[in-house]
Amino acid sequence: MSVDAISSIRPAVIEAARAGRRLEAADVRELAAVTDILAVGALADDARRARHGAATSFVRVHVLDLALLATWTAPPAGAREVRLAGQPASPVAAVDAVQRAKAIADGLPLRGFVLADVLRLGGAPLLAELKSAGLDEIALVEPGADAAAAVQTARDAGLGVRVIGAIACPSDRAGWILEARALVDAVGGIEAVAPLADAADPTTPTTGFDDVRQVALARLAFDAVPRVQVDWRRHGPKLAQVALTVGADDLDLVAADDDTSRGTRRAPLEEIRRNITAAGLTPVERDGRFASLAG
Amino acid sequence: MTFSLDALGARILDGGRLTADEALWLYREAPTMWLGRMADAVRRRKHPHGVVTYIIDRNVNYTNVCVARCNFCAFYRTVGHAEGYVLGFDEIHRKIDETMALGGNQLLLQGGHNPDLPLAWYEDLFRGIKAKYPDFKLHALSPPEILHIAKTSKLPVPEVVTRLVAVGLDSVPGGGAEILVDRVRKLLNCYSKATADEWLDVMREVHKAGLRTTATMMYGTVETDEERLEHMLRLRALQDETGGFTAFITWSYQPEHTERGGEEATGVDYLRTLAIARLVLDNFDNLQASWVTQGGKVGQLSLAFGANDMGSVMIEENVVRAAGAEYCMDEYEVVRNIENAGFTASRRTMHYEHLGTPVFRQREVPRVLALATARQEGDQSVPAELVNYEAKSAAGKRQRGQAPPSPVA
Repeated sequence: MSVDAISSIRPAVIEAARAGRRLEAADVRELAAVTDILAVGALADDARRARHGAATSFVRVHVLDLALLATWTAPPAGAREVRLAGQPASPVAAVDAVQRAKAIADGLPLRGFVLADVLRLGGAPLLAELKSAGLDEIALVEPGADAAAAVQTARDAGLGVRVIGAIACPSDRAGWILEARALVDAVGGIEAVAPLADAADPTTPTTGFDDVRQVALARLAFDAVPRVQVDWRRHGPKLAQVALTVGADDLDLVAADDDTSRGTRRAPLEEIRRNITAAGLTPVERDGRFASLAG
Repeated sequence: MTFSLDALGARILDGGRLTADEALWLYREAPTMWLGRMADAVRRRKHPHGVVTYIIDRNVNYTNVCVARCNFCAFYRTVGHAEGYVLGFDEIHRKIDETMALGGNQLLLQGGHNPDLPLAWYEDLFRGIKAKYPDFKLHALSPPEILHIAKTSKLPVPEVVTRLVAVGLDSVPGGGAEILVDRVRKLLNCYSKATADEWLDVMREVHKAGLRTTATMMYGTVETDEERLEHMLRLRALQDETGGFTAFITWSYQPEHTERGGEEATGVDYLRTLAIARLVLDNFDNLQASWVTQGGKVGQLSLAFGANDMGSVMIEENVVRAAGAEYCMDEYEVVRNIENAGFTASRRTMHYEHLGTPVFRQREVPRVLALATARQEGDQSVPAELVNYEAKSAAGKRQRGQAPPSPVA
């Protein structure tokens, strides 16, 4: 007996998802309300396999925390990207951080900042300064009223903007997905959507059901975005691995320092490969420009 | 050997039983979402009213002194070790007071195989608790502990069980099962504490004595997939025979600070193992989620992979914490996760009788954001009553001022 027989999702929605047709807003909202999250997850898994097969990409990132300038080191040999983390305190601090990072980045792509933070701090001129200082890409854009214009401003300054994501958990999760999809339609060129966010209150974290549903919805709703991304560092191995079985195909922020002090099998690179393989998938390392390093 | 997912799915949905070969094939080959959805369908058939249960109790480890020396354990201390402890009766009573203040109704009481605690110590502990807290329940002493007490007191297991029941033992936790295959038990150095047959025999005796018990499985060390399923099938066979198991709980080996070391099995491995357990253990009513080893998120996702119970709020935990797992969920958080998954939350007893709505909705209960430990760090006090019990080890005798062993000529 097919598992579709025990599904609580309307056959028309299942059919649209399987055919790769764009889900209507009402379909997305309907899926967001389904408590049978494995039914949604199974549909999303089918959709990710139709696009990527079992291939699961990951990127090793050397993170430079803006709040810990004194601890910055050059990227280790395994790094494929340098990422600035945190919010700059001022335009001067932002430019200074980019210059310092560029000086040690050893030619690796340098990404950083949430687009709205930069625009709040210094508008288009600051974006141009950051580009001149060596920034290659804005790390993340959140959907919002002015987001499309903001992306255009950043791109006019020569900065890449290829990842849409959420910082704080939206109260209307389906609404966030629809808004983000509209932004993708407006600006194009988005490579990845990172749908998981932290709850505002750390004593009331997002739940496993919420996170799985959001990843699955992202896979099913974003027909024009190739990758659904999960942050390995922020969400942890267990949830990130489960996310790979419900539509995610890209793991961001894997540690670049391949620390083998706890044994080779527990080093970050081996751990990520082990987790991807244990999910029945195939690990493929990529660089900071979303290009596969396989072969 | 290859099977048809559709055919096996139809049989599962009809309530049919899986063979060992079919279960192994599904465990290895079935898509994760398929396994989960089948397990969820079985869970829904057994628990059609959308209720997920939990219990408010406290995991108390009365001693960490242990002669078993299982190589996967980070909790035990050897006899005479400076960090070895035995909790005093008054300390355990205080823990019961704290548990009752949070709405709790039982202790999960387990400990190391301490050669210096005779059967009389356990009898006095239980008797004292029941005298002071007559309605409070004791879910206590896993099969290897009962075996250990039987060995040290030179009494048969049935007699030990009878005596413990007489002083207040209410049910027996399924700890110490690890993997019920002797090849694995020898490699984990837990064969001597209880062979697979011995573990099952103790459970059989406890069921015969009229008590219910749980069953557990710790996976992710040296066992094969076949051995995980052999474990489940042996439990299923005993359940067919006695019907004494209330629930099954599985968790992954926690490797930090253990002699064995290695790495932990993944979250997907946990969910697949839980799901196949729901399908194989067709004669078990209840499957618990192990949020304490998997974290709250995968713990909650267990409810989609066959679990119908969120286990215990625990209040205190020492064993997996020693091995690196430090998750915490208080009653508020357990209930929030159950309801967020679309279920109705119900407190329960050890026998899965429903006790009603959450305690925090009836009265003010403080939030608990970290689990307590057995003792404050550095507390090396020795309970005064221990001098009343004869120690067997030289270190125990010295500590209690009892006659040293006769010198060897």
